[in-house]
Amino acid sequence: MKKNMKRAAALTLSAVMATGLLAGCGGDDGAAGSTAAGNDSAGGVVDTSEHVDLKMYLLGDRTPDFDEVYGEINKILEEKLNCSVSVEFLGWGEHDTKYSMLFSGGEEFDLIFTASSWGHYEPTVAMGGFYPMTEEFIQTYAPDIWDVVPEIAWSQAKIDGTAYMVPNYQNEFGQDVLAVRGDLMEKYGVSQITSWDELIDFYKKCAADGQYASQGGPWYQYFQAQGLTVTGGAPKGGELILYNTQDPSDLNFTYILDWEGFADYCHQMKELADLGCWSQDVLSSGDERQTGLLTGRTAGMIWNLGSCRNYAEQANKEHPEWNVTLADPVAAQPKKVNSYINNGMAINVNSQNPERAMMVLNEFYTNPVINDMTRFGIEGKHWEPVGDDQFKVITLDGYGVDSNCNWGWMNAEIKRTEYKEDRTVLDDTYDAMLSSWESNIKGDHVYDGFNFDSTNVTTQMAAVDAVLPTYCDPLINGLVPDVDKALEDFRLAMEAAGIRDIIAELEKQAAEYAASKQ
Amino acid sequence: MAVKEKRGVKGFFKKVYKYRAFLLMLLPGVIYTLIFAYYPMTGIVLAFKKYTYAGGIWGSAWNGFENFKFFFQSGQAGLVTRNTVLYNIAFIVINTVTQIAVAILLTEIHNKHYRKMSQSIMFLPYFISWVIVGVMAFNIFSSDYGFMNRMITAFGGKPVAFYTTPKAWPFILMFFNLWKGVGYGSVMYLAAIMGIDTSIYEAAQIDGANVFQRIFKVTIPMIMPTTITLFLLSIGGIFKGNFDMFYNLVGSNGLLYNYTDVIDTLAFRALVTNQNFGMSAAIGLFQSVLCFITVLVANKLVGLYDKDYTLF
Repeated sequence: MKKNMKRAAALTLSAVMATGLLAGCGGDDGAAGSTAAGNDSAGGVVDTSEHVDLKMYLLGDRTPDFDEVYGEINKILEEKLNCSVSVEFLGWGEHDTKYSMLFSGGEEFDLIFTASSWGHYEPTVAMGGFYPMTEEFIQTYAPDIWDVVPEIAWSQAKIDGTAYMVPNYQNEFGQDVLAVRGDLMEKYGVSQITSWDELIDFYKKCAADGQYASQGGPWYQYFQAQGLTVTGGAPKGGELILYNTQDPSDLNFTYILDWEGFADYCHQMKELADLGCWSQDVLSSGDERQTGLLTGRTAGMIWNLGSCRNYAEQANKEHPEWNVTLADPVAAQPKKVNSYINNGMAINVNSQNPERAMMVLNEFYTNPVINDMTRFGIEGKHWEPVGDDQFKVITLDGYGVDSNCNWGWMNAEIKRTEYKEDRTVLDDTYDAMLSSWESNIKGDHVYDGFNFDSTNVTTQMAAVDAVLPTYCDPLINGLVPDVDKALEDFRLAMEAAGIRDIIAELEKQAAEYAASKQ
Repeated sequence: MAVKEKRGVKGFFKKVYKYRAFLLMLLPGVIYTLIFAYYPMTGIVLAFKKYTYAGGIWGSAWNGFENFKFFFQSGQAGLVTRNTVLYNIAFIVINTVTQIAVAILLTEIHNKHYRKMSQSIMFLPYFISWVIVGVMAFNIFSSDYGFMNRMITAFGGKPVAFYTTPKAWPFILMFFNLWKGVGYGSVMYLAAIMGIDTSIYEAAQIDGANVFQRIFKVTIPMIMPTTITLFLLSIGGIFKGNFDMFYNLVGSNGLLYNYTDVIDTLAFRALVTNQNFGMSAAIGLFQSVLCFITVLVANKLVGLYDKDYTLF
């Protein structure tokens, strides 16, 4: 009896385990099979009689009050479009790896944030992940977006003649500035930092005082001071191949290893690093851009204008004696506005409801009530309006301002600006800098909207990406023992990896692009 | 096989019936292996395909050996393969020797509480994630506020910039690998030692063997089969770099790559930005094939020494 019991138990157990295992392996079919049903609705009549729940992916982390805010938004959407949106987040640390998994894994969702280069736009389009947005599609389901978004933005979003994202519409400056300790500037007798020479002078004075100046070499400032900028879609965020954005007639590309300016820069950086302008550990440090400034380990930080202002404010709050201010080391150059595809929204190619998704985007983008809510949170709780075009923060806790990945539907036409009550010197500096930039926007260069499509040279791109960090970052931060030898090694490695194929392909595409824009 | 079994189809079914209980117990394991080890292997086809989301694994177009090209074109294939193998050989040798030594020393400790405590303390690092170890390492070796350099300067020495000194890193990596693995690894040997018949020791003692003779003439030969099995198992991963360790300790510090870059970190760098599944699969296949060959060869060599010690 006892033996039989044991046997029965063993049998049941193995049977249960076996079925449990089998159960796990069903149900992943159909994901790849269901391609976009191309139901072009006839005429302009949009049928919203059937209720749908849309799923949207955004980047970043969910703020505590996020669900409350989107609950309010869903009330409006239910009423107007008979649908609701649920939102999932891909964290900052994981989106690089998980973004592609959403598509390859056949995850069911409708809308997703995207951005050129940093937000996976080009690679995902190359793999066929996004729903193609024809002009007719946009005009039918998002007529208000069509009215607002300028022609140039659509043309930037187009890959092979089709747009796969709704680009955001705002003048976002793509240039970094310096948030720098005012007390140290005073101590070293540096009255302003507006040029490369003044910047280097300040760095050296910091080092002489035993104070780190920054968290690495100011590489962007160097080439920006010469009018150059990064090429969209090129290796290393475009830093490897530059073009002269300040001169629209100059259609050449500068591969940095063919450019003596780069060698000159590397020699200067070697000198600065040896003097101790930054730590020997910068390549291994996990510090964020603002860590050095906030902890007092460095005299300044380099980032975009908005972030520099925020962290300068924070540093001043914690250490009023530091008197952190803002400086633009390339003040002489007219300012480049980021391309509009630097933020945007796309629709999943496998979405069951691309039409409704587009209509929702139309609301997010052009309905001031929803747009404000996604930016600031709930009126009366997080913020309050000041007039028609300004807002005042009540609390930054719980939601924050523009910190919920609402950047894909930024709309300059209805964008409120911040109203501040007790202004500081920093606020004045910021406003002065911003208005001087706005009055000094550089002319269009045809390559500003160009994005390199690396599909034909994937092998070379992968090889270059694999080799780059070995040579490039140590040189940029002046940490190599022998600059000339390191440059030569770098050059040889790049040639072997096939950089010439990439340049040739890039020049071919750029020429075609430029020709199509004539 | 003491009993002679009947051959042929009939014999087979008879045997199946006879051993039905055992076979049923084996079933979950077999199914598990099929689903989680063999079924995913079909994904190898990705290595020879130009993967697109629309096509999926099966529908994408074939592209021959195109996916393998980038690895060799990077010019680092030789370097990283060499690094991977050398590091793994060093890890296997150092870890095996230390783990055996620790296991033997532990068994020689007679105070039970002390033995248990030292074993637990050695086991602890195994549970610390490599991410944390990476942070710890940075705080030890940083040139600004690192513990190591504080010590060096306190004793009047000149600080060493570890993060710009590639040659120091093989030792640092070996140290952390050992520190993290020794407690866990020694458990296997400890178990093997516990399994040795105590009468052998008693006999040795009566014959006048001292402690060292007991260790070298009895313990070590007796745990040889375990050692060889574990050795063969670790040989199986000799072309696979421990990505967690290298990535968290070295990170994106290109200065150290000549001494620390392994196949896995190179592939990660090459492919993390461009979402190329085909190329990742190609690298994985490359490593697996090399590992497979190594295991076959090592197993054969062990078989030449003593047939009973082989894995299969």
